[in-house]
Formats: sequence, structure tokens, C-alpha cells
Amino acid sequence: MSTKGIDFRDLSLKDALDLAILIEEEAMDRYGELADQMDLHRTPDAAAFFRFMAKNEAKHGATLVKRRNQSFENQPSAVTRAMIFDVEAPEYDEARAFMTPREAMASALRSEVKAHDFFARAVPLIRDATVKALFTELREEETLHQRLIQEQLEKLPPDPSLGAADFEDEPAPQ
Amino acid sequence: MVQNLVIGMAGSGGDGIVSAGQSLIAAAASEGYHAIMTKSFGSQIRGGESSCRVRIAVKPIYSPGGMLDVAVALNWDDFMKFGAELPVSGSTIVIYDEKCGVPKDKLPLVGVTPAEVLAVPIGDLAKQATGTDRAKNTVVLGLIAGWFGIAREGILNNMRKKLGKKGAELLAANEKAFALGETYAAEHPLAQPMRMAQPEARTAGMLVTDGNEMCAAAALFAGLDFFGGYPITPSTEIMQYLSKEIWKYGGAVLQAEDEIAGIGAAVGASYAGKKAMTATSGPGLSLKTEMMGLATLAELPLVIVDVQRGGPSTGVPTKGEQSDLYAAVFSAHGDVVRPVLAPTTVADTFAVTVEAFNMAERYQTPVLILSDQEIAQRKETVDPIDTSLFTIEERQRPSEAELVDYARFRFTESGVSPISHPGMKGGNYLAAGIEHNEHGDPTASGVMHARMNDKRLHKLDPLKKRKDLFLVEGDPNAPFAIVSWGSTAGTCREALELARAEGLRTKLLIPKLLFPVAEGIYEDFFASVRTGIVVEQSHLGQLYRLLRMFVDVPRGVSSFARSGANPFMPSEILAKLRDLVLSQQRGQAQSIQPQE
Amino acid sequence: MNAPLPVHPESYSPKDFKSELKPIWCPGCGDFGVLQAVYRSLAAIGRAPHDIAFISGIGCSSRIPGYTTAYGFNTVHGRALPIAQGIKIANPDLLVLAAGGDGDGFSIGGGHLPHAIRRNTDLTYIVMDNQIYGLTKGQLSPTSPKGLPTVTSTEGSLEDPVNPLLYVLAYGAPFVAQGTPADMAGLAAMIEEGIRYPGFAFINVQSPCVTFGQPEWQVKQHRATMKPLASLGHDPKDRLRAMDLAQAYGKELYTGVLYRNPEPPATYEALVHQRQQVLGRDAPRRQDVLNAFIQK
Repeated sequence: MSTKGIDFRDLSLKDALDLAILIEEEAMDRYGELADQMDLHRTPDAAAFFRFMAKNEAKHGATLVKRRNQSFENQPSAVTRAMIFDVEAPEYDEARAFMTPREAMASALRSEVKAHDFFARAVPLIRDATVKALFTELREEETLHQRLIQEQLEKLPPDPSLGAADFEDEPAPQ
Repeated sequence: MVQNLVIGMAGSGGDGIVSAGQSLIAAAASEGYHAIMTKSFGSQIRGGESSCRVRIAVKPIYSPGGMLDVAVALNWDDFMKFGAELPVSGSTIVIYDEKCGVPKDKLPLVGVTPAEVLAVPIGDLAKQATGTDRAKNTVVLGLIAGWFGIAREGILNNMRKKLGKKGAELLAANEKAFALGETYAAEHPLAQPMRMAQPEARTAGMLVTDGNEMCAAAALFAGLDFFGGYPITPSTEIMQYLSKEIWKYGGAVLQAEDEIAGIGAAVGASYAGKKAMTATSGPGLSLKTEMMGLATLAELPLVIVDVQRGGPSTGVPTKGEQSDLYAAVFSAHGDVVRPVLAPTTVADTFAVTVEAFNMAERYQTPVLILSDQEIAQRKETVDPIDTSLFTIEERQRPSEAELVDYARFRFTESGVSPISHPGMKGGNYLAAGIEHNEHGDPTASGVMHARMNDKRLHKLDPLKKRKDLFLVEGDPNAPFAIVSWGSTAGTCREALELARAEGLRTKLLIPKLLFPVAEGIYEDFFASVRTGIVVEQSHLGQLYRLLRMFVDVPRGVSSFARSGANPFMPSEILAKLRDLVLSQQRGQAQSIQPQE
Repeated sequence: MNAPLPVHPESYSPKDFKSELKPIWCPGCGDFGVLQAVYRSLAAIGRAPHDIAFISGIGCSSRIPGYTTAYGFNTVHGRALPIAQGIKIANPDLLVLAAGGDGDGFSIGGGHLPHAIRRNTDLTYIVMDNQIYGLTKGQLSPTSPKGLPTVTSTEGSLEDPVNPLLYVLAYGAPFVAQGTPADMAGLAAMIEEGIRYPGFAFINVQSPCVTFGQPEWQVKQHRATMKPLASLGHDPKDRLRAMDLAQAYGKELYTGVLYRNPEPPATYEALVHQRQQVLGRDAPRRQDVLNAFIQK
């Protein structure tokens, strides 16, 4: 269960937009954290990719914020981060030290699929037509994001048979 | 008239020997005498042999005394079990219960003929008074009051106070037993009368207490809010006293599941901003080592009391020794440093404990108090202590300005950084045992590590100038010297008087601050010294060795040390010093003999 | 008890509890999920970071206090509980959390556990259980299964593992739960509930070690194998049933609240407070403490 306390049937447009914004924000924060982990563990290529993803999520979020403010500027949000759990944000166990860019992209792809499925599951539950349309649109966008990542993945050379982990010094005792 | 009387008594556990001793010291105190009472037991929990010694004097005294002037044996089997603790000499008056069947000329005292031997029907007199022979101890008190003229009123008052609540019949019976003892004494006077002189001045408000209680009371006075500990002989009385009293002052005692949890909880309480203490003996000190290191690195105030007993390991649990000095100074891995203080009598345990708390707060460090079993468990009369003369210190807390971008371990000139505690807004920090920078972030930098070690070491530097923590007696230019610490120091003060009476120009140094070693103070003291002894109950002579590490100890100063459970007597210390002086003089004489 | 400090549940977000220190845990470590759940539960509770003391022992998981903005104390191996109890007794108004790993808590710290539980100070103890010693490079832990090959049991462990859930229930803990980062919502909820529970709350988190743990024990597998107790119809008031379920530790991954005593026993500090009120009513002064020793 990736949300808590949200009734999709009676979701208002404001709440739907705020929910979508937070989903992007959560993903942006998570990609940022994973990038930091990659930096700390000397995995710069994956770090760069995660930073790129964080920027994307920020962009998506900004677009949604603009849209939200068109109709609901100055109205406080009723939706909080406490209500969502890794909707689009990759789970922590997606990351690994020395993961290759291919592996990083694969995990981002899985997160986009996850987000797509989230919206897809919600759409039939929603009663309000406008909100339904919004979620349908968001579902389709996730499909688009998936395609973009897929394209990038295909451009990548295959992962070398010898990974960075094979050259790794033994983990340091603490 | 005698100025000083040492009475030793022994019997079985059920004979009330120790309560007789307690009555005696309480009575002596109420009449203005100075007194010290020690007790000793066999290893059975109940019913084993038990003994006590009470030394009563008209002037202040600093040790339990040497040979017995009076020996009371309720039975000889029990008395003999105490061996050298109850030393009988040719000047001792021996009193024993006729009932035990040993003839006066066949006493089991090997090679000693006492000054006088009195076989008294103690048991019978008790039975006569109370119907049971359980009141033997009261009869003994009557005999003592009668023969030596001490403390009659005091004993009777005390009896009324203690037994009055238990019933009029019991009180009357005991009063009768006392009276029978007195009467017997009157009817059988000593061959050589030995009446006690009156005390010089009668100070009102004398206390009677022991080192453990004094330590605990001082801790409460100093602001103790939390005690965490574990039962261990001979320190448990500290926890017991606090577990009765501390709640009244809004504090708490935790008897934890083990020694480590005890000090751990105290570390926690200190981190939470409260004054905290733990108490133990040698084996517990070993277990607490890691936590002491943690408190040192985290710069947390903490008072740790070690009531020393015979070691190593389980050692001799019921006897005092002074062999934890190395552990107190050096234990815990790494370059740890912490102040170590040692009281010398029950009386100064109060001031030393208050000082320990103040030091802990001022320097944000664990402070070790090295007491020992002899001080901790003997009852002593103590001149009234005016608590208004003491200042109590609190740890330096950060100001409003300092709470902006607060750095818990900020380098300061003194080396002490203002310390926050949970609940203080803006003072949030991560405490840890790991080396850290000024903000408390973990660091592996050699440079920062060195700076922090410097901070922890040098913040204690002012202690090296603390002349007030050293007692110096005698001619400051004397060529002969005695150095001692802990309970042995009291004995040395008496040895000093003997030495000076003999014409040996001697001075005495008693450090109450054992670490950091105040090199300057020792060097000043040793400047005039040609011959001296460092006297202590430690097989390795730990203070002597410690001083040799840090101070240029003159060649003529040697160690006079031995294992515990065998306290020094002033005469032995005098004899040793005298021998050394003579042999050194002879040696010097030889070395200036003209060549043949 | 003292009057409760003001709480503003809406005024803190999880970010308010996130410190600037970046966790050094290996990417993929289960502890990240625990940390996130801690941020969320503290935000929900609404106590200020400076009113929170987070105590840990030594180990990878024991680094957790440094990653929060609360007051933290990273103590020594196995000794978080005694120190945490000292803090809580000294200042009962603080919100006290304790954390550590399975080695820290059940091996060297094992002797402190029953006493902390029976003392019942109000604190929440989170154990990140990964059946291995991570910080020191992969040795056996007290919860490692028998036969497990590790760097100190190359021929396989010869010991049966401890059962932390059963122990803690047997010691009498009034609140016992188990979670996994595979269910973040559940984990955050049970930590919050544990903190709210007025007494000793124990939360065992199956928090896999990506570097030294077995590949088949990772969060992915948790997702597939976890058995939420709520969906099994378990009644957390039933302590015996909880102990029965706890026997499957190591075989089944039950998640959720195993046991919650419906009548929370008095906390240690509440009893201390009562005693202080009664015995301190005459308000004796510390400077008069020696009066009791005066011989009249």
C-alpha cells in the first residue's frame, strides 16, 4: 500500500494535483538521496544519472505546481507527505554500491512502471471526471517517461562482464 | 589518667559485640571524646565470629590505633580468629567470660603475658539481669564504664533511645545488666587503675558516621540527582543510604543489573544534565572501565567512587588495601586522563566528595574517589561541619549566543566547552565515544585527534596548582619525610608526632589529589628532603611508582609498602624511617672515610 | 506525571528530523528504510528535536542517531539500554529512543534487555536485525541461523540462534512489533505506535545487510514472504498467541504488532515520581543533610 488515508473515489481536483505534486517531490528527494549514496560510494556514473532523474522529477513537479496555482493559488494543501510511501520514488533497496548506469536506469524504469501502475489502479476508482482525466494524463506521462528511459538504456553499451565490484578493495573494517 | 584507650572486643555473631561498640562510640561522642570504631567479621552471614575495636581519645585521632589497651573476649575461639587485628601486648588488660572455662594462666595468647587478666562471669550476670545471656554486651559496657570511667551517661542515654521503643521491660532488663557490670567493676577494682581523662573541650554537635555514609551525604549536599550502582563489598552502604534518602531531594537511585549498567545509567543521567554518581570496589572498577573511557571522550561530568579492598580479582573483599591507584589513573584504553582524589579519614571524605563533584562539573570529566574499606566502614567522631562554607559548582552551560551554531566541543582557552543537554533548544548535538571535531562530528584526522587529546589533558592543568588538596605538616625544611595517602595517611600523622618527639626533623605530605600529578608541589616538598618513605598498603607501592614516573623523587626516598589486610601502626612507620635515616647516615659516613 | 509539554502535530515535517550528515550505509541497506520511518513517526508525534534523545550502541545501525536532528548519543557496544534508562529516569519529560543491531542488542547487550523491560521505562527500542555483524565485516551474530557460513564460522555456525521476539515477550514487554522496509507504511506506523505506547516498546526490524547478508534475505524477498499479522486476524491482546507466533522467528516473517498490553503497566519513572512526591513532601534542604548524624 503506497498511500495512507486517501480515498480515491472522492478525490477533489485540488487534492489530486497536490497528491501528484508530492509524488514528484518524493521521487525528486529520493533520487537526490540515492545520488548522494552513489557519491559516497564512488559510483559517479550512477550518481550522475540519479541527479538527472531528480532534475526531471523537479521539472514535472514544477509543471504541476504551475497548473495547481492556476486554479487553487493560496489555498493550503490537505495532502501531506505522510500519506504517500514510495509511489514513484525508487525504494532504497534499488540502489547498490558500484551499480552500473544500466542498473541505475533499470531501477528508474521500474519506478516509472510503479508510478504508472499507481495511476492506472486509481483511475477506475475516481468518480469526478476532471480528476479522472488528470490521472489518466499522468498515467500516460509515466508511459512516456518509461519510453524515454528505455531509449537511453538501449543507447548504453552492454555492461562489462567484469564489474567495478570485482576490483573492489575488501570492505574496510570500522 | 589515660588520654587514649583502645578497646578490642570479640565474640560470636549473636553476642552483640558490634552494637556494644556502636553504643560506646556514640556515647563517647556525646561526651566530647574523639573516637574511631572498626569492626571485623568471619565469613558466615550469621553467627560467625565478630569483633570491634573502639579507640577513644581526648584529642583528635586519625587512625584506629595499635595495640589494645583493653581486650574483651566473650570466648577465646572467636577472639583468636582475629589474630593481628586484636593485638594483645604486655600492657593490655584482658577481660573474658569466665564461662568459657579457660583458666587465667592458660590463655591462648602465645608469648604474651597481659598486664592483668580478669575472668568475669559475664554470661551469668547477663542471665541474672535479663533471664537470658543475650545481654552480655550490655554487661560488658557496664564493666567498661565502671573500670575506665567512660561514657556512662552516654551509654545509658543511648540505650534508652534505642531500646525505649522496643518496650519498657527490655529497657529495664538492659539497664539492670549495665548496672550489674558497673557493680562488678566497682567490687573488683583493677590492680592498676586506668581511668580515662575528660575531653578538653566539649564540642556540641559532633557527628558519628562512617566513610560510606559521609560520601553519600556529601554527594546529596553537592547536588547528586542520580545514583546508578550495584552491590559490592565494601561500598554497598553508599547505595543503601542514597536509596533511602535521595527521593526526598527529587533524585533517584537505580540498583542496576550489573556494574556496567550502573555506571551506564549514571552516564546517561549526566548526559541528560544531572549530577550523577556510581560507587563500587576493585572488581567493579574493572568492569566500569569502558564506561569511564566513554565519559572521558564525551567530556561528561561523573563521580565514581572506588572503595578499595584487597585485590587483585576477588581478592580480600572485607579488608582495605590501596592497590587500585594504577587502575584509577591508567585504566581504560587510550590516552585517558581523569582526576583521582583520595580521602584520608571519615571526616575529610565529606570535603573530598564535594570537591569531586565540583571538579567533575567544572572540567566535564569523570572523577574518581579512591576511598578504602578502613575509612569507608569505620565509625568516627567528626567535628561539626558547616555546610555553608562550601561552594557548589555547576557545569558551564551555553549562553543564548553560544547556542547559535552550537559547537559542543568548541576549543576554548581553558579547554572546557559549554555543555548542553537534551531539552535545551539549539543545543542539539551527537555525543559519542568516537573522536570528533568541535561540532561533535566523527573524525579520523590525526591533527584533530591530537588537538582533542590536548584539550582533554590540558583542561585539567589547573589541578596541578591545587595546594589546598595537599596536607603538609612539620618543619618545611626538614630533611626527613613521610609521604602517604588514604587511610594510611592518618597513621602517618601519628607517626610524625612520634618522630618529632624523638627529635627526628620530619615533615609529612599527604596528597588528596593523586592525579594529575602535581609535579611542582612534590618538587617543592622534596627540595629539602634527604631521606624519606612513601607509605601505603599496596604490594607494588603504587603511589611511589607513580611519583617516580612524573617527579624527580630524591634517591633517599624509598617505598615502604605492603599488601593490605595488615594496616600499618605508627610505631612501625617510625621504626622504618629511623632505620633508613641511620643507615643513610652510616652510608654517608662510610663514603667520607679517608682512603687507607 | 509532570504536565505534558506542548505538542504541535502539524508543525513538524519529516525533513525537520533529517540532519546534514549523509548516511554511510551501503546503498540498499535496510537501515535507510528504518531512518525514513523514524523521520515520519517523529514528525507525526510532533515533539521538538531538542526534546528527543536518541541513544545507540555500536554497529552500522547504531549510527542512526547522527542522521537525525535529535540529541544523540552513540555509546558503546551493547550498552544503549542502561544509558537510555538513565536519561529517561533523570528527565522523564524527554522522548527517548534507543537503537542498535542484533549483535549489539542480543549478544553483548543481551543481559540488559530483560531488566530494561521489567523496569519498563517509557522508551522505544528499535533493533535493526540483519542476522550478521556488518560493521566488522561479516561475522556470525546471535540471530544467524544454525549452519550459516560466515567469516567466523566458515564451516557453518554450530549454535541455534536466539529468538528475540520470544525473549522479549517472555521478559514481559508490553509492546512488541516486527517490521520490514518492504512495507514502509507499516513500519512507520508501528514505530509511531511504539513511541506513543506508554512503556517499553520493542520493535524488531528485519533490516537486511546488502553486503554481508545472504542474497535471499533482501528486501525483495521480504515483499514476497511477509505475512502481515493483521491479515491473519491476530489479536495483539493475546500474549500467548503472540508467543506462539513468535516461535516461527527465522522461518516466517510476521509483520505488525505482535503484542500490545491493553493495560499499560505503570512506568518506572512514574513510580519514581510518586515516591519523590511522597518522600519529599517535607522538602528537606540539602545543606542540612548531616543533621541526621549528630550525636545528641
